[in-house]
Amino acid sequence: MNKINVSLVLNGEPKEITVEPNLTLLEVIRDVFGLTGTKEGCGKGECGACTVLVDNKPVNSCLVLISQVEGKNVTTIEGLSSNGDLDTLQQKFIEEGAVQCGYCTPGMIMSAKALLLQNSKPTEEEIKRAISGNLCRCTGYTKIVRAIKSASEHGREVI
Amino acid sequence: MSQYRWIGKSLPRVDAKGKVAGTVKYVTDLTYPDMLWGAVLRSKYPHALIKKIDVRKAKEKPGVVDVLTHEDIPGLNAYGIINQDQPVLCHDKVRFLGDAVAYVLAEDKRTAYEALDLIKVEYEPLPVVSDMEEAIKNTVKVHDDGNVLEHVVITKGDAAKAFESCDLIVEETYYTPRQMHTFLETEGGVATIDQDGIITVFSSSQYPNRDIIQIARSLNYPEEKIHVVAHTIGGGFGGKDEITTQILLALGTLKTKRPVKMVWDREESVIAGQKRLPIKITLKTGVTKDGKLVANQARVVADTGPYNCLGSAVMKLALEHACGPYYVPNTYLEGYCVYTNNTLGSAFRGFGATQATFAIERQMDLISKKLGIDPLELRIKNSLQNNQSAGLGHMPAPSVGIKDTLDQLKKHDLWVNKEKHLQTKSPHLKRAIGIACSHQGCGLGSFFPDYGSADIQLLPDGSFSLKVGCPDIGQGNATAFVQIAAEALYTHPDNIKVEVGDTRTTPDSGSTSASRSIYTGGNAIVIAARKIRALLIAEASRALQTAPDLLEFELDRISTRDKEKSVTYQEIARRAAERNKVIQYTSTFDWPRSDLEFNDALGLPHYVFSYISEMALVEVNTLTGECQVLKAVVSPDAGRIINRQGLEGQAEGGTVMSMGYALMEDVILEEGEYLTKDLSTYIIPSALDIPEIDTLPVEALEDTGPFGAKGIGEAVCNPMAPAVVNAICSALDIHITKLPATPEMIYNLVHHKTS
Repeated sequence: MNKINVSLVLNGEPKEITVEPNLTLLEVIRDVFGLTGTKEGCGKGECGACTVLVDNKPVNSCLVLISQVEGKNVTTIEGLSSNGDLDTLQQKFIEEGAVQCGYCTPGMIMSAKALLLQNSKPTEEEIKRAISGNLCRCTGYTKIVRAIKSASEHGREVI
Repeated sequence: MSQYRWIGKSLPRVDAKGKVAGTVKYVTDLTYPDMLWGAVLRSKYPHALIKKIDVRKAKEKPGVVDVLTHEDIPGLNAYGIINQDQPVLCHDKVRFLGDAVAYVLAEDKRTAYEALDLIKVEYEPLPVVSDMEEAIKNTVKVHDDGNVLEHVVITKGDAAKAFESCDLIVEETYYTPRQMHTFLETEGGVATIDQDGIITVFSSSQYPNRDIIQIARSLNYPEEKIHVVAHTIGGGFGGKDEITTQILLALGTLKTKRPVKMVWDREESVIAGQKRLPIKITLKTGVTKDGKLVANQARVVADTGPYNCLGSAVMKLALEHACGPYYVPNTYLEGYCVYTNNTLGSAFRGFGATQATFAIERQMDLISKKLGIDPLELRIKNSLQNNQSAGLGHMPAPSVGIKDTLDQLKKHDLWVNKEKHLQTKSPHLKRAIGIACSHQGCGLGSFFPDYGSADIQLLPDGSFSLKVGCPDIGQGNATAFVQIAAEALYTHPDNIKVEVGDTRTTPDSGSTSASRSIYTGGNAIVIAARKIRALLIAEASRALQTAPDLLEFELDRISTRDKEKSVTYQEIARRAAERNKVIQYTSTFDWPRSDLEFNDALGLPHYVFSYISEMALVEVNTLTGECQVLKAVVSPDAGRIINRQGLEGQAEGGTVMSMGYALMEDVILEEGEYLTKDLSTYIIPSALDIPEIDTLPVEALEDTGPFGAKGIGEAVCNPMAPAVVNAICSALDIHITKLPATPEMIYNLVHHKTS
């Protein structure tokens, strides 16, 4: 298979890669860039563990072919902390006890981030809808919703 | 004002930062240079003889390093926690679709999976054993010795005679489904081997020390040269207690001398992974006209699938919990655990008590309805109390908090003002409140070794290292260990550096399962801390030239009673080091046991129990059969709460998991073939499904527990399902005996009023 060149901006930095065209964005993030924060939970877009932002919109990166992000801004969980400081969402997840096994957490936070970027004061119902594609088996979602609400009341969303 | 500095506080989890930042590595994130990928060829049939396995073409594929079969197993080609009846790689027979037949090791993941298609296996299909009652008849045998793996009868008093004097007898058969753990991180890991032949398996495992035994046995390799590491796990719930990938990973690295990685994708996890045992329970329950339980007879049939794993133990706990947390003077409890060609049945949060709870709690509501007694009052009236014997004739530890949990529900606004909450916006929407109780034996029960160990060491900077074997599977036991240690050592949690789940460094403290890790690890920590305090005092006495009994602990220091002189932990460490001494201790702890044992039912009974009550407000749409759970009130009794947020997290997570069990979850098979293979056909609750959850714990302190703590990880997964179903039945005046209560089932019951 002939490789293709893809240019993208990853967590604020321009990147150019040459890869096989049948790689998904998830595979490139984890295996080419070595950023393992984004997880595979099902490989079919059914669990949300692989959620990243493409031009600030949440996507299941396991369903995105790498060529589809040509020229776009991709943000992963690693891109949320700046200078080692945690984003408000990340801090609130810790404070509110919204993290148990943590496997759904990166995808969950990215979906929440996408929500707060376009709706800075969401209702509880809007929060639940925004994360309805992110499955969690440990927490029962209760503290996750509370953490996102708390972040919306306390933070300034800048990406 | 709490008497404790750290116990009971909502300390943020010690591992949360790495998880929210995405920096912590799960085993499935690990990579090594020169690493190979492993892929397993699984059975084509649910039940068949293997005539021939031909791996030659697969071996020739470029990028394939080796293809292993049963011939390549150096030791015992079998594993299993109780019975070693599951082949590592099948030799002459396959017994379910998840059976492993061949194992490819290749340079990359795609090549490994493509090579599977090049392996030729000749099978002779056999009839499929899919029905548990048919299995008992042994017409077709899954194993040569027959399909009844275990048959147990336990009695207390004289149930047959007692039934004669009952005013009401309710008899019914209940069916519980095949629930899947659905941890977000599937099974997987990496194994490496170094130049000294030390094999290290990084695995998402609930008990690394026991994995070593099983790996050594199959590889015919010394246990001292094997290590298993389970640092960060993406969920377990019992599905990572038995071996998953560990033996094949170790075998792969032993054969190739290269690191080997294997990760099951979701479909493989569905097919090959372990599941909750579906159980059929027939209960015959007798009461007086005032609703006092007199006799309970249970017949349990549990489908453990092709191999035991922990199925026989699950069946036994179903018997143990078949009377609920109630006092029943006469019981007759009979259980079968049977082999079939269905799914691999094993441990799943609740472990038989979940299934039994559904049945007995439906019985309680039937009794409540027939006698016209309020369902909450009926349960309060029959609540087990301290120094009363439970269903097997055993005496639980005197920390029985069930009645207190029911009192919490009784006081709650949802119950007090129920009429207000039952109003709906439209006549086709009907609401009701359902109640259920449960209990759960903590620890491994009688007979089996059940122990713990903790290692504490004072470090040069005055902080402590803390090592406990029990892995943190996501529930936060590592954080609880830190709090217990900080309390017992008079220091700040930030000064405790905790390590768990690593056989290279942490002492064997038993498994993280059976609601045991905080109790076991915590007790081991308390014992170790007592010794460390004695060593600190001895050193401080030397330093301050003061007798030990005139010294006392403050935060991070020891001072004289008059506070005139003190010495910090850091100073103590320095002084000890000057004499080439390190202040360190490794403790051991053994579980207290029931004084009862059953020779024919090893592992029963348990001694320490957790208790729980739950109330659910449910709204059913009679036009569609859909059910929305609006509110849940849960009152758990875990003894002393170590971390408040952690306890709530368990109550909330367990409530939602149990709600899924009630309404939507079932791995459906037809003649051993999977119909639900992914997360769009096996549905678990999403954020849109959750009720508002109030958690109101009670603390029935357990004398033998660390600061009075018991366990709670499993009990939280039991009562919500029957509470929801009791509410639905109450709202619609129907009777449900089978889970899940899907919209289709509810719709049909409403519109045809048949059960």
